[in-house]
Amino acid sequence: MPLLTIATFLPVVGALVLMVLPDRTARTVHGLSIGVTGLTFLLTLAIWAGGIVPGSFAQVEELAWIPTIGAAYRLGVDGLSLPLVLLTSLLFFLSAIYSARLKARAATFVVLMLMLETASLGAFMALDALLFYVFFEVSLVGMYFMIAGWGHEDRRRAALMFFLYTLLGSLPLLLAILGLYLSSGTFDMRVWIDTPPLSGLAAMLALVAMLFTFAIKIPSFPVHTWLPAAHVQAPTVGSVILAGVMLKFGTYGLVRFALQMTPEAFTKAGVVILAFGVISAIYGAFAALAQSDLKKMVAYTSVNHMGYIVMGVAVAALTMDPEIRAVALDGATLQMVSHGLVTGALFFLVGMLQDRAHSREMADFGGLLGRVPWLGWAFILSAFASLGLPGLAHFPAEFQIFLATLQTQPWAVVAILAIVVTAGLYLRSIAQVFLGAVNEKWAAMPDLDRGEKWVIFPLLALTVLIGVAPGVLIDIIHTTMQSLSF
Amino acid sequence: MGRDLSFLIPELTLATAAMLMLVAEMLRRPGSALALGLVGLTAATALTIPVLHADTTVFGGTYRIDMLSGWAKLILLPGTALALLLARAELAGRDREGTVYSLLCLVTLGALMLSGSGDTMLLVLGVLLTGLGSFALVSFPRDDAATEAGMKYLVFGSVTGAVMIYGLSFWFGGVGSTLYSDLGRLDGQPLVATAGLLAVIVGLGYKASLVPFHFWAPDAYDGAPVSVAAYLSVITKIAAIFALAQALRDLPVNTGWPMVIALLAAATMTLGYVTALVQTSVVRLLAYSSVAQAGYFLLGIVALGVSPLALPAILVFGAAYVAMNIGAFAVVMVAGRHLDDFEGLGRRRPVIGLAMVVFLLSLTGIPPLFGFVGKAYLFGAAIEAGFLWLAVIAILNSVLALAVYLRIIMPMYGQVDRPADTAAIAQPLALAIGIAFIVTLLMGAFVGVLPG
Repeated sequence: MPLLTIATFLPVVGALVLMVLPDRTARTVHGLSIGVTGLTFLLTLAIWAGGIVPGSFAQVEELAWIPTIGAAYRLGVDGLSLPLVLLTSLLFFLSAIYSARLKARAATFVVLMLMLETASLGAFMALDALLFYVFFEVSLVGMYFMIAGWGHEDRRRAALMFFLYTLLGSLPLLLAILGLYLSSGTFDMRVWIDTPPLSGLAAMLALVAMLFTFAIKIPSFPVHTWLPAAHVQAPTVGSVILAGVMLKFGTYGLVRFALQMTPEAFTKAGVVILAFGVISAIYGAFAALAQSDLKKMVAYTSVNHMGYIVMGVAVAALTMDPEIRAVALDGATLQMVSHGLVTGALFFLVGMLQDRAHSREMADFGGLLGRVPWLGWAFILSAFASLGLPGLAHFPAEFQIFLATLQTQPWAVVAILAIVVTAGLYLRSIAQVFLGAVNEKWAAMPDLDRGEKWVIFPLLALTVLIGVAPGVLIDIIHTTMQSLSF
Repeated sequence: MGRDLSFLIPELTLATAAMLMLVAEMLRRPGSALALGLVGLTAATALTIPVLHADTTVFGGTYRIDMLSGWAKLILLPGTALALLLARAELAGRDREGTVYSLLCLVTLGALMLSGSGDTMLLVLGVLLTGLGSFALVSFPRDDAATEAGMKYLVFGSVTGAVMIYGLSFWFGGVGSTLYSDLGRLDGQPLVATAGLLAVIVGLGYKASLVPFHFWAPDAYDGAPVSVAAYLSVITKIAAIFALAQALRDLPVNTGWPMVIALLAAATMTLGYVTALVQTSVVRLLAYSSVAQAGYFLLGIVALGVSPLALPAILVFGAAYVAMNIGAFAVVMVAGRHLDDFEGLGRRRPVIGLAMVVFLLSLTGIPPLFGFVGKAYLFGAAIEAGFLWLAVIAILNSVLALAVYLRIIMPMYGQVDRPADTAAIAQPLALAIGIAFIVTLLMGAFVGVLPG
């Protein structure tokens, strides 16, 4: 059974059903959306059970598309994409549950969300570069309409900026893909990975184009400026999908395209890429420290966390030792998942707080822990995870990245400074919002209801699980990473 | 003779239909004229399929029956049928309604001649036939705006046509023949080759509305009925591009024509979109956007003879462009000509709104829509021909394009007080939008049936 195809297109089929459904009350709409995304999640679990193989892609599905130019519909998974696929389907499932409270134009919102899920799953599973590009771009359209339609005060400007910025970002990738195609005669990514078709200057140009694309998506300093605007204005579900899933397109592409398809050029440019990673990590932390808006703060910590991933990938390219390379890539991939879980939870929590208070300013709050203990403790746990506390999701990932960095390019370990800053800013925000003098304005604030708990608890449980037993995921990731040949 | 004519059955079918349509109009039966036109176009399309894979010439090499002219028929004939539907929705019941239908078919006949031309004289005939019919179509409403638009179009067309004929005489002088296939003899005569090249660019550039010969387009589209504007922005433009491809295929590359075309392409795309960015009339905005789209076609032209992707790129993008541009104009007929008319359209008419979003995103080149596939082919062809810089400019312009089209999309989903629109849309118009929508949305996935 073509599980990958079914999982990819089930959401969009659900969206089509929704469009022709005569009864489009919020209740049926959200029931359908939860059912479809839940089923998709189960399907991805089945894909997980199907397993992967070292050194290649597993569960490959192929279908002719444009045979004359060697483009085909090709899907498959490996240790890099499978964890991201699981993360994606989980976050969309939880987003569907969370958005069940949405009443304004619910049907359209759900259609966009389901379209985004298909685009995201497809992007991670595509083994054909043209197909990847298709999914990659469709996600922009969905996110544009989500921000423009359901965002906050300044949503139109933010949505426009997001769309233009990221379209400008993604088009160089198309050039790189065409360059790789013209020198190989196929769009099959497996061929490009096994025998990188470009070399010398052409490879370097292709790499620069791809780095431009993925740096914007990740986002890495200095092209991160679209992120705070988009995040702050996006609706909560939009922020969760954007941070949890769509930013991963950037880091996924960094490994899958930049590293695997132009390995020589990547190694040559490795130190520069590493430097950008280090700067992003430090800059993101300091920029987050300067924020008074809770959502913007979380958005900037994404720049910081994604910076570590860039470092891990760069170190993997620079090292000669295959063992260290595997450690660095294991850490980078695990960091993608951890960031999705933890930042997803943080954005949900900030959204829940905003639903109640209609404010994101940290200074407006105070002493909320006594008033809303569930929300408070969930935030505190996620914040501790985000700052890299051992026993929680980010620690094993960042530990491996720093370990590999220390052995390859010791100077880059300065990025560890950022962890100190992150710790400071999270402790400060916890103190301002949840501890200290009680602000009487929020005396009537209700705690998490049942639906909200259903959204948050799975994320918290997985955060702890990956913190204590990262082996669950690292085993899969490692299978692929240790057999990478370049 | 019999063999030659047998290859021209689609053209002959269309010509016969156009004549019969005139008779129907004389009998004051515009409905029959429309039916005849649709039947004729369908029949001509169907009759093209048996000769699609032929690669030959007829009438002493002057008329080419090859991949380009074959697919041109499959693109232009259905496109004309869509335009007929649009015209019916806009002009039903007006005086001289049937003449519009027969003129549309006659202009398309000229367009087919252009895309099959293998000879400079046939090129001139094609330019005249498309030109004369188009002038009449633009000034059809007989009001001041339409008359002014028609006049501008006519004067511009006459001057550029004259320049073209003058310049073509250089090629004739240099080669001693009017056949394109003899143009190879121009090797070593750079001045003669350049003079003729410039003439062809002037004549066809005007028809394809390339910068700097595009000034007539916004005025003509604005003055003409929207359905005629839709027609002119697709059929005659694509025919001119195809004619350019036929002529330049045989011109020696060392005369430097690819660089000239590349510079024109860059100027056309950029100027078209920059000007579109400040328009407040949607018709003018789409007019400038169609100027810019002509620049994208040139990416395929520069790669002719170097990249095997070049011809498929022009054809695929041509097919996509017909569907999405006619679709966008058809939505303008529903919504209104001004940008303000689109305020809240997506809320008032959700299906039409969705269709417009798809047309505009396809014009931008967003996958998986049809327009994206065309653009991907074009970029690939240009890169393979060594014009990486041109591909980069085209890509930057795609971002500009998005900004242009979002100016229409954004207000469509804004808050409005206007009540939902329930007035029924004319049936032919709904049919045209439906066909264009399905083609734009789904052909990207089935592009394998197109040449490559």
